[in-house]
Amino acid sequence: MIAEIGLYALILALLAAAVQACVPLIGAARGEASWMNVAPAAAAAQFAMVALSFGALVWLHVVSDFSVVNVVMHSHTDKPLLYKITGVWGSHEGSMLLWTLILALYGLMVAVFGRSLPPALRARVLSVQGMIAVGFLLFILFTSNPFARVNPAPLNGNGLNPLLQDPGLAFHPPFLYLGYVGFSMAFSFAIAALIEGRVDAAWARWVRPWTLVAWCALTLGIAMGSWWSYYTLGWGGWWAWDPVENASLMPWLAGTALLHSAIVVEKRDTLKGWTIFLAILAFSLSLLGTFLVRSGVLTSVHAFANDPARGRFILALLGIVTGGSLALFAARAGRLKAGGIFSPVSRESALVFNNLFLSAAAGTVLLGTLAPLIADVLNLNKLSVGAPWFNIVVPLLLTPMLILMPIGPLLAWKRGDWQEALKRARFAAAIAAAAIVATLIATNTATANVLAALGLGLGAWLLVGSVTDWCIRTGLFHKSLTDALGRARHLPRAAHGMTLAHIGVAIVLIGIAGSQSWQSENLLVMRPGESTVIAGYTLHFISADDHVRGPNYTADRATFLAEKSGRTLAVMQPERRLYDNPPEPKSTVAIRTNFVSDLYVVLGEADGNGGHIVHLFHNPLVPWIFFGAVIMVLGGLLSLSDRRYRIGPPKQAVPKTASAAPPAVPRPQRSLNWRAALPALAFLALLGVFFWRLHQAENGDTPNLIPSVLIDKPAPAFELPPLYAGQPGLKTADFKGHVTLVNFFASWCVPCRAEHPLLGAAAKSGLTVIGINYKDKPENARNYLAELGNPYVRVASDASGRTGFDFGVYGVPESYLIDKNGIIRFKEPGPLTEEILQKEILPLAARLQ
Amino acid sequence: MKKTLLAALLFLLSPASAIQPEEVLQDGKLEARARTIDKELRCPVCQSQSIDESDAPLARDLRLVVRARLQQGDSDEKVKQFVVARYGTYVLLKPPIAPSTYLLWFGPLIGAGGIAVLLHYRRRPLAAPAPLTADERRRLQSLEGDT
Repeated sequence: MIAEIGLYALILALLAAAVQACVPLIGAARGEASWMNVAPAAAAAQFAMVALSFGALVWLHVVSDFSVVNVVMHSHTDKPLLYKITGVWGSHEGSMLLWTLILALYGLMVAVFGRSLPPALRARVLSVQGMIAVGFLLFILFTSNPFARVNPAPLNGNGLNPLLQDPGLAFHPPFLYLGYVGFSMAFSFAIAALIEGRVDAAWARWVRPWTLVAWCALTLGIAMGSWWSYYTLGWGGWWAWDPVENASLMPWLAGTALLHSAIVVEKRDTLKGWTIFLAILAFSLSLLGTFLVRSGVLTSVHAFANDPARGRFILALLGIVTGGSLALFAARAGRLKAGGIFSPVSRESALVFNNLFLSAAAGTVLLGTLAPLIADVLNLNKLSVGAPWFNIVVPLLLTPMLILMPIGPLLAWKRGDWQEALKRARFAAAIAAAAIVATLIATNTATANVLAALGLGLGAWLLVGSVTDWCIRTGLFHKSLTDALGRARHLPRAAHGMTLAHIGVAIVLIGIAGSQSWQSENLLVMRPGESTVIAGYTLHFISADDHVRGPNYTADRATFLAEKSGRTLAVMQPERRLYDNPPEPKSTVAIRTNFVSDLYVVLGEADGNGGHIVHLFHNPLVPWIFFGAVIMVLGGLLSLSDRRYRIGPPKQAVPKTASAAPPAVPRPQRSLNWRAALPALAFLALLGVFFWRLHQAENGDTPNLIPSVLIDKPAPAFELPPLYAGQPGLKTADFKGHVTLVNFFASWCVPCRAEHPLLGAAAKSGLTVIGINYKDKPENARNYLAELGNPYVRVASDASGRTGFDFGVYGVPESYLIDKNGIIRFKEPGPLTEEILQKEILPLAARLQ
Repeated sequence: MKKTLLAALLFLLSPASAIQPEEVLQDGKLEARARTIDKELRCPVCQSQSIDESDAPLARDLRLVVRARLQQGDSDEKVKQFVVARYGTYVLLKPPIAPSTYLLWFGPLIGAGGIAVLLHYRRRPLAAPAPLTADERRRLQSLEGDT
């Protein structure tokens, strides 16, 4: 019953969204106030229905209604209540519903707080929000229904992946979605502006706070995700440049650029086209992230269950939203009249510089993330792009921006004086230089230390520079304290917010520099009673308790005593948990922080002789990364509380013309602007790449199949013992003279059983079939062949996997066709199928005979 | 399909660190080099993890190979080439600079330049600012009087 209510509410929400998308848009075009006024009501109705639907899903999870598939797949009665609730968005379906709920919430916000907006603008914004909602509601209803029933209902569910049963990850997705979806506001305002053909300060004054809300949420969401990865995965790191992480970073970079360019629109009435473009870009990158995570076109460690049907749907949605908006941008951007002019040395130029590098960085992350895909399409060699590439390229791009960051606010609008600005920044420069020199003296000149010193110097430059700017604005150190405090009070909150956010960036930067260069690590086997030393700390392994019971897991818990210069600092208890449902392990890292560095202890497996594997890290400055992110968010919130943004812009900011009928659209200066058309063309190409890749994936070519580099090369040199004593072994020369199918197999490999009959068929059709038993116990392999029959004329044993390595085997079964001269002609990197055997292997073998 | 399932399974099984104590070389310098190489080699069976992060059996084999080659005196580059010769450039998480990767390595710079050109084009030459109106002049004076 509850599930059906949820589903019907979703259908009603779709209807409300459809009304919200169409009626106000027509009303705005015709100037019909009553039609435009439908928008807020429809937005409220849509929100109410989606909220009802979401509430229904939460209810189903809380009461563990196992007649609903979604609950069965992701819940269990033993799960703590918190994770029953947060498990709602642990699944693909539930997370999409949360996405849509947040989208509807933002729509409601426009309806509630947007009374002072020009009616036509509000109607159009809500209409665009409605269109996006229609797309996502259709997506949920057609491909991802969270309310599907199962009959008969099982007695209990499968439980939630233990990695998700964690407070950090429980609240990470809502913030992330608040950020992603928050950019839909700037997007809707951008589209409305393009339709109207007008962007002004009042528009920017509306876009800024919403972008700021989204940016704060996204910053917090990313920081939480990173923190979670740091304290639960036990690898001592906090960022891996995984495609899913990149998917969140790209909109963040674009959103940060948007935040800054909107200032220029608001204050100086220029950079309009560019700002509109960034608004489209930020939301499009959010959608792109959703597509990448859920479609399976890229491989990532934490993607959702991949489904090409969903991929196709999101891709179509992405095509309509982004393609449509970029086409509109191409057609209309030329009409946006540029306003204020500025000199190359000015606050505006500094912000343009910021935008240049931030958007280039977003593009770079996109390039690195998609490069493997593009290489596939262009039929180049298979390509991987990982952390080592990103760690070189992205910092190189962002450094110029970071260097200029403290200078920008010191420059005046329109025409600045760079000599004056530099003079004001000299104190910061001196501190930065001192930080670099001091770091180099305190450490040594190894590359890591030089990089760290430069990073710390840059951080100090940013930190002191931001504070200097604030001091100049308040007159601190130049005027009496009361005077300065008075001026500080009169400064807009946005100014304080900026200073705080920039300080946050500086702190993050210092954290990154320290953690990248000075992490120390120790990996060893310890027994209770033993001690070890890391980075000046002594760790005593006191005891190990097996089978400690938690609410829904059993844990091995180790107790350590951390000590420094004879003083006991902390008791640390890392755990290794095995959850009941699903029966999967999870480590709980013990972290002792002094806010400058972390001592980080991971408990590994028991070695069977009373010892445990212990992985220790000392992570200097890592806490600063997370503090810095929080300070950035606080800065954003402070800025958000600025009077100017409070519940809509002040009345006088709304142009008088906008209050009545919609203003006449100015005559187009040019019908199509070639520069404005470039993004649309680039996106079209990208869309082609995605369609092609999805198509390939549906035909079974998943992105992680790697072709052999040994095709048309001689088989590697090897010599292996036989599986059956008394028979001949196998060496490279044995391939000479006949066409051979070499099959790597193992008794522990399930797909090997599936392909086994085909090997017999291949042998019957005249091929010489040879088996290489890969990383297996010989007696197990012999039992396996006794059970299923032995199709091989000869079987060799590669217990170490060394010959498999030389062949480039990455997972059994794999089969190689080798010609009479011992040259590898074909490789099947997976189980043989009837089709592959009949259509590829046998015809090729016949030709090679 | 088999590989996706396998990889998914392996990921779920690997919450803690991959490398095991017995793999670690006694020679600290050599081990440090090995760790750097590990981080640059992609585990062929896993979903975008390096062999340093993955505890798939194959990743372990590769780590042992890396260490064995280093102990035989191979340079870092030679060790990586040894793996590439068997699994292809796919395993390099930092792609080599080659014609097919020029776009990847130099694209970001070209892109930044391109955006700079686009943003530059949209700006019109600097005109002399209009002189202050009498109103503005009064306001300026009152502000200056403040300080």
